[in-house]
Amino acid sequence: MEGFKATVINEIEKMYKKKKMIVILIISVAVIAIGILISIGLSSVGVGVFKKSSVFPISVLSVLANTLLPLFTTLVAIDLFSGEFSHNTMKIALTRPVSRFKLFSAKITAIAFFVMVNLVVVMLLSTSVGLICNFNSITFIGIIRIIISYIVTLLPIMVLALIVVFFSNILKSSSAVFFLCIMLYMISFVMGKIFSPYSSLFITSMLDWHIHWVSDTMLITKITREFLIMLGYGIMFFTGGYYLFDKRDL
Amino acid sequence: MEKVIEINGLTKMYKNGRGIKTLNLEINKGDVFGFLGPNGSGKTTAMKIMTGLMKADSGEVKLFGRNVVDEYEKAMQHVGCLIETAESYPYLTAYENLKLFSRYYKNIDDNRIDEVLSLTGILKYRNEKSKNFSLGMKQRLGLSAAILSKPELVILDEPLNGLDVEGMIEIRKLIKKLVETEQTTFFISSHLIHDVELTCTKIGIIYEGKLLSVDHMENILANYATLENYFISEVDKNGRI
Repeated sequence: MEGFKATVINEIEKMYKKKKMIVILIISVAVIAIGILISIGLSSVGVGVFKKSSVFPISVLSVLANTLLPLFTTLVAIDLFSGEFSHNTMKIALTRPVSRFKLFSAKITAIAFFVMVNLVVVMLLSTSVGLICNFNSITFIGIIRIIISYIVTLLPIMVLALIVVFFSNILKSSSAVFFLCIMLYMISFVMGKIFSPYSSLFITSMLDWHIHWVSDTMLITKITREFLIMLGYGIMFFTGGYYLFDKRDL
Repeated sequence: MEKVIEINGLTKMYKNGRGIKTLNLEINKGDVFGFLGPNGSGKTTAMKIMTGLMKADSGEVKLFGRNVVDEYEKAMQHVGCLIETAESYPYLTAYENLKLFSRYYKNIDDNRIDEVLSLTGILKYRNEKSKNFSLGMKQRLGLSAAILSKPELVILDEPLNGLDVEGMIEIRKLIKKLVETEQTTFFISSHLIHDVELTCTKIGIIYEGKLLSVDHMENILANYATLENYFISEVDKNGRI
């Protein structure tokens, strides 16, 4: 476990030192600020997300989980795999006493840490803004709903990250992986809309599955089905990604 | 004598027909092995397989009696290496780079980091980002990373690349010091025959993927005026020059 722990710490430190995480967090915060301005504008015409303090954080999450978060996660995942292969820095870690499985798992853990930090920061900020704008509507259930919706979003984003990691281990060029992922994301998004009865097969349609968790009637069957599909995707792409990573010659 | 490296029937062929063919080699503790061969002869390929960066088509490599494929972590526990080019994270300082590497080993503190930076002559650049380093400085940082954990085996691929004369002399001295004080075993590839002659105690010549000969330096110099003459003679015997 020492090698795994060392790699996780190193990957997080590298992310931090590259300032990428800071920039991404700043952008995420900027999105909240823009959200506030739009919401204030909408409030003036009677459509307010500040009506209830718990609505604003979930609205922010719905936008973030479908746009910026997948984009940032893709960038980070590409950076950790394709980026390191193309800059020849992957061999620095590969020649240390740590197995490729531990190295691969540690990098995935670092991506999960990044997604979690991003979600927590946005959750805290958006909840604070929601409370400031309408403090009287705060309820314990409302807070729990916000926390659950942010926590469960980690799963679809991580599945998406594993798909990106899989392609990062096939293609050598970071930009090729990026464009391929953008293309696949768009195709998956459109297919999910066109073939809506089968939309649960497309990962893009699961990015806002947090809504099922916080709706008034909890859709246990739907949640279970989507969870199992995502788990299946996750296991498949983790295994495939690791297989390619392990076989790769430097 | 304790065997540090055992290579048995190692083969790796590329699509272009180059590679290494049934390489067999044994290196004992305290040896300073010089792996000589022209460009494209298979030196780096062999070293990449030894350090797990590449998989062999057949054959095996054991470091300290442990197979690098099956027991990678244990095999690499006491190994430091610099393969092909000295890489570092350009957005980190020399100290931060070494700090990252130190986490994989026990008992490597800041004093040890400063010690290796001093040994390789870049202590004054400790807090400078490696993206601003010259080729020689990057090479020194790579060497610092290779010896950071006080390894029992150091595998160096062209360690003198990019170094000035002063740097070459310093690194030669460093290798000799580590052999004398810590009984470190070295596996060094180089095309700089003169430097290999001054540093190594055992020589292996590889040509077109085949190991032509392995002999001790004292035997070589007893029969040939220089290592260069021996190299030419060995390659010539095989009818390739």
